[in-house]
Amino acid sequence: MTIALHQDPAAIEEGRAALAGMGEISPSMVYAALLTDDGFEIVHVTRIQTDATRFASMSSSIQALSDAVGHELRIGASDYVIIGSAQGHVIQMRVPGRPVVLAALFQSHETLGKALSTTRVTAERISHRFAASSVPAMAAPNF
Amino acid sequence: MAEHVILFAGPMGAGKTTAIRSLSEIDVVSTEAANSERHVVDKATTTVALDYGEITLGAEDKVRLYGVPGQKRFDFMWSILKKRARGMIMLINDDAPDAVQTMIDYLDDFSELYDQGGVVIGVSRTDLGVGPGLQAYTAALAEQRPQFIAPVFGVDPRDENHMRTVLMTLIANIEMRAMLAPAAEAAAP
Ligand SMILES: Nc1nc2c(ncn2[C@@H]2O[C@H](COP(=O)(O)OP(=O)(O)OP(=O)(O)O)[C@@H](O)[C@H]2O)c(=O)[nH]1
Ligand SMILES: [Mg+2]
Repeated sequence: MTIALHQDPAAIEEGRAALAGMGEISPSMVYAALLTDDGFEIVHVTRIQTDATRFASMSSSIQALSDAVGHELRIGASDYVIIGSAQGHVIQMRVPGRPVVLAALFQSHETLGKALSTTRVTAERISHRFAASSVPAMAAPNF
Repeated sequence: MAEHVILFAGPMGAGKTTAIRSLSEIDVVSTEAANSERHVVDKATTTVALDYGEITLGAEDKVRLYGVPGQKRFDFMWSILKKRARGMIMLINDDAPDAVQTMIDYLDDFSELYDQGGVVIGVSRTDLGVGPGLQAYTAALAEQRPQFIAPVFGVDPRDENHMRTVLMTLIANIEMRAMLAPAAEAAAP
C-alpha cells in the first residue's frame, strides 16, 4: 500500500523547506500551508494563531468550488484563487502535476502581483522538489 | 410552482454524490477531489464542498438538490448548506463500520433539518450483505431517537427510480407537515 501524501515524510520535509524559503522571499507572508486536494494538511509554516486543520479543509473546498466555476463558465480549472480583505490576502493555487494545493496568507501591504508571483514560484519549486525526492504521484481524480 | 431545497447528508461513501447524479436533470455541480485515504473508504474521489443538481417532479415541484461532504472535517459546509434546506435525505451505507450508531450520530448533527421540514433515511449498499440490515436501523431509531419520525428505506443511489420514490416520499412528508403545523398551532391552548 502506498503511503498517503499527507503522511509521507519526504513530502512533508520537502514541503516544509519550500514554505520556509517562501517566507524568506516574502516577509509579508504570515501563513502558508500545503494540503492535499481533499483537504489534509501536509505541512504549514505560520506566524499567527490559526486552526491549521480547519484552514486546510476550507482551502480544499474553495479550490474545488473555484474549479467548478471554471468548468461552468468553460474557462477550465482555476489557475489561482485570491481572497482579498482589508487586512490581508489569501492566495492559493495547485502544485503543478500534483493533487496538492499551496495556500498562503499575505499582509495587505504586499502587492497582489508580488504575492501571486511568490506563490507561483513556490508551487513550481514544490513540484520539482517532489519529483527530485521521488514523492509518489497520486492518481488524478477521474471525473 | 413550489420550490424545495433538499439536503443529502450522511457518511463518506454512503452515495450522496451518486444519488444526486442519478436524480439531476441538469449537469451536476461537483467538487470531487482525489481521496487520500483509500484505506479508510476505498473510492477514487470524495466531495470537498458540495454537490448540486435539480429535478422537476410532476409539473409542479422544482427541487434543488444539495449534497454535503460526508467527512466531518468539512462540517463548516454542513453549517452553510443546512440553512438553505427544508428537508433531508440521510443516506447510510450499510457496510460502514458501526453503521447504526453512525446514523444516530449524523441525525444528531443534522437535527435542524427535521425541525425545518422533514427527514427520510435511506440505507444503501445493502446488496453487499455485510451490514446489520434495515430492521436494525428502524429499531435503533425508535429506541434511541423516538422524537424522529422518519421512514427508513433500503435504497440504491445508483438507481434513479429508487431515488425518485424516496425524494417524493420526503416531499409529501414535508408538505403534509407544513399543512398540519398551522392547524396544530391553532389547536394548541
Ligand atoms: N453495491 C452498491 N454500491 C453502491 C450503492 N450505492 C452507492 N454505491 C457506490 O458507492 C459509492 C458511493 O460513493 P459516493 O456517491 O461518492 O459517496 P458520497 O456519499 O458522495 O461520499 P463523500 O462525498 O465522500 O462523503 C459509489 O462508488 C457508488 O457507485 C449500492 O446500493 N450498492
Ligand atoms: Mg460525495
